[in-house]
Amino acid sequence: MAMDTKKTNGWADQDDVPEIKSELLELNMGPQHPATHGVLRLLLKTDGEIVYQVTPVLGYLHRCAEKIAEGVNYKQWVVYTDRFDYLAPMCCNHAYVTAVEKLMQQEVPERAEHIRVAVAELSRIASHLIALATFGLDMGAWTPLLYCFREREEILNLLERISGGRMLYNYMVPGGVRYDIPEDGWVKDVLSFITMLETKKIKDYNQLLTYNKIFIERTADVGVISKEDAFSYACTGPVLRGSGVKFDCRRNDPYSVYSKFDFEIPVGLGEMGTVGDCWDRYMVRVREIEQSCRIIRQALDTLPEGPYQAIELHKPVKVPAGAAYTRTESAKGEIGHYIISDGGQTAFRNKVRSPSFCNLQVVEKVGVGQMVSDLVALVGSLDIVLGEIDR
Amino acid sequence: MEQKAIYDLLAGKLGEGAVAFHEDGIEPWAEIAVGAVAEACGFLRGEPSLDFDQLMCLSGIDWDGFDEAGKGKSVGILGYTDEGSPETSDRQAEGDLGVAYHLYSHALDHKFTLRIRLPRDRAEAPTVSGVWATASWHEREAWDLLGIRFTGHPDLRRMLLDDKWVGHPLRKDYVMPDRWEGVPMDGKPYSANPFPATEEPPAGGPKPDGDTPPAEA
Repeated sequence: MAMDTKKTNGWADQDDVPEIKSELLELNMGPQHPATHGVLRLLLKTDGEIVYQVTPVLGYLHRCAEKIAEGVNYKQWVVYTDRFDYLAPMCCNHAYVTAVEKLMQQEVPERAEHIRVAVAELSRIASHLIALATFGLDMGAWTPLLYCFREREEILNLLERISGGRMLYNYMVPGGVRYDIPEDGWVKDVLSFITMLETKKIKDYNQLLTYNKIFIERTADVGVISKEDAFSYACTGPVLRGSGVKFDCRRNDPYSVYSKFDFEIPVGLGEMGTVGDCWDRYMVRVREIEQSCRIIRQALDTLPEGPYQAIELHKPVKVPAGAAYTRTESAKGEIGHYIISDGGQTAFRNKVRSPSFCNLQVVEKVGVGQMVSDLVALVGSLDIVLGEIDR
Repeated sequence: MEQKAIYDLLAGKLGEGAVAFHEDGIEPWAEIAVGAVAEACGFLRGEPSLDFDQLMCLSGIDWDGFDEAGKGKSVGILGYTDEGSPETSDRQAEGDLGVAYHLYSHALDHKFTLRIRLPRDRAEAPTVSGVWATASWHEREAWDLLGIRFTGHPDLRRMLLDDKWVGHPLRKDYVMPDRWEGVPMDGKPYSANPFPATEEPPAGGPKPDGDTPPAEA
């Protein structure tokens, strides 16, 4: 190519052409940038259009929720977990109450666990819909955004009916859930919604986006995260599974009642390019929506009767002294709580290991050597949410 | 592999570096000496029969004022008074700091927990970011929020707070700032208006309730 240019330009054989000097350009991507999915700042050093170095700068949304955890009691802190992953707050609620209950060795009523699983999976679907929508938007596809938000709206309506909140629910409490399932046919509506999602809507997304030629060109073979990198950078969730590792906390380290349900763990297969590319991570999410639908159906079909709270709502929770790390599978990956209790009503220390925090770090390695436009694809396919990165 | 068996292997490798193994409680954990942590992590990662390929979590801890009896009588954190000024305390913080490492092996499906304790006046631990890349950010966070210095870390800067921030918020003796970049931090509504609203509207100005037309002369 370069040779051709020289010939056709006709001046390349002149010896007095000065050598073109190039230097690295520093470029700020964010914090106000639509493709960084929140207030993330990526400090890029680029050589032409090739990324030479990526340095994520975090903390624009930092609230030091871990400090607040040391000042409020266990039940009060559930509210703050909503604000971590605000696209799937039920999963964050579930992770935290599971961690507290593990330290308390508290039995949870079967009915409460079934409700929890159902709402957490609904939340996971909503989060994955946003992931598909915004990833499509990053790649220049407007239409799927509107389709996905339409279905997410349905989920928000359903969750509003059970919890009273549309976006931040504060629904789970240690020992159960705050409210029982409403008597107005909620279960029937959820089942008809997921049937519609399974039979019709996912086909729509696949037609619109998944097998779209332009979308495949932009995402296949781009941003390949190898298995070794995924382990070393502690990637979890769809990012890890996109790299071909069949690991899911719901199956490999079961919590709640997930061991009762039958579902598959989709992994990246490299159908359009290499295993671990952006398309694989995207496709894992699409397939996880189907599996979440299966889990919801089983959880609601076998919904037992009985109480939905083991501890009365107004009673404060006391956690025996001890320390434990509990991990659960949220929409973004493994969310872990390391709670140290001194036997009181307040956590002595509550470290939150958020999946987006660990997943994002991998751009420092994988982003290098890519085009700037491919970096947008990489960050979009990681599906980060800044609320839980900055905490 | 059972955690006790892992600890026995580790203790055989480290010798005096392995301090104790605590089996009581929900989660067993191994305490090791600060100086031995890099060697321990390298061993746990590299030994084929252990093969800890993932560092799940690295947590910094401030043990100051921890109630060892487990009665919930730990010293609380310092917040703001009702008037909005930062709380201070005469108590001298003296407890140790600590770091906990939670490891997992995808290949062999087992877990292990390591803990170290660092003296407060010399809160330094060797970095393990060469063993697992993910440790790099966790260690930066622990430095940022707890002031634990990881020696040998390639890029130990603040992670979540501003570079100009003073102090490490997750320390139990941290005193909240009363002002940041000129903005009061007391939690009250802040207005940049230098002329605060008065109770009474200025004389001759418009009446509070509005637009009654002036009486005709």
